[in-house]
Amino acid sequence: MILLDIALYFMVLSLFSVGGLPSVMPEMQRYVVEVKHWMSPAEFMQAFAVGQAAPGPNMLITTLVGWQVAGLAGALVALAAMCGPAAVLAWFVVDLWDRFKESPWRRAIQRAIAPVVVAMILSGGVVLATPGSTPDWRLWLIAAVTAAGILVSKVNPLWFLAAGGVLGALLLG
Amino acid sequence: MQVSPPRSLTELFLGFLSIGARSFGGVMPWAHRVMVEERRWVTPADFTETIGLCQFLPGPNVGNASIVYGKRWFGVVGSLVAFLGLFALPFVWVLTLFAFYADFAASSPLLRAIVTGVGAAGAGMFIGTAIKLGRPIAKNPWVLVIIAACFVCVAVLRISLIIVLPVALGISLLLARRGKL
Repeated sequence: MILLDIALYFMVLSLFSVGGLPSVMPEMQRYVVEVKHWMSPAEFMQAFAVGQAAPGPNMLITTLVGWQVAGLAGALVALAAMCGPAAVLAWFVVDLWDRFKESPWRRAIQRAIAPVVVAMILSGGVVLATPGSTPDWRLWLIAAVTAAGILVSKVNPLWFLAAGGVLGALLLG
Repeated sequence: MQVSPPRSLTELFLGFLSIGARSFGGVMPWAHRVMVEERRWVTPADFTETIGLCQFLPGPNVGNASIVYGKRWFGVVGSLVAFLGLFALPFVWVLTLFAFYADFAASSPLLRAIVTGVGAAGAGMFIGTAIKLGRPIAKNPWVLVIIAACFVCVAVLRISLIIVLPVALGISLLLARRGKL
């Protein structure tokens, strides 16, 4: 039952997505590509690209995974499963969070989460830029140029995605 | 600053719909624009604090914010309405774009090259974001140890996040409680 598989997996992932989609990206790639073979590494990367370029929360790449595996039903189930548990958690936690505003635990949690989230986002970027088993210097070059770009400028990130497309056409076409 | 929360569920829905509809290149800047600047639903400080909480919670930032604000103004119905408003159009668009892409990609190596380039740029955005978020805390050697260890486990050894995250957060929390972070 593939829909059930999608639902259960993304529901678990939902609760692990501290820091949003980037944190779970390496794990999702591992499961979808390496464990389940639902997509090839290249297909996964391209779905990611479409998810990034389209407007809306980048969590929508889960929709594309669901779509690829089980059509419209898969798309709906994947998105609902990826957002549902986290949404329910947010619904309950918001009051607690306000109540414990001055608690030392709250500050400790915030400080503890930061480095882990940074590591997951970094891993996500590196895993995505290495879709094959061997690194492709052209993809790493595009990723490095983009990373440098968003560090030094504040323009809408969409321009960097567009520049990546142009570089892709020149280097990979 | 004078703020006035949405008066009806329709207003709430349309507000979040307009965030989702325009959020090219990231949702958060548009959420700020609509909720703080255009519709004046919330103060900038309120927005920043809510997004701060949502960043620390699992799930998409602005998705969580839609749950939090929906709840504050209209209870559970508000949460649902705001969330659906936010996701409705992007859901349709991403599928349309993907279907369109899948149709053409098979016959066009150039299109595949472009989209792969966009993907690599997206990966670079993650790397840049990680550096941006990491810079202010990286003076602490413990932070670097945690980042390096997590990176090796997840990106190099490809160990499941479901194992790495709880262990890493546990150790990190222990260090934070002892004043090391």
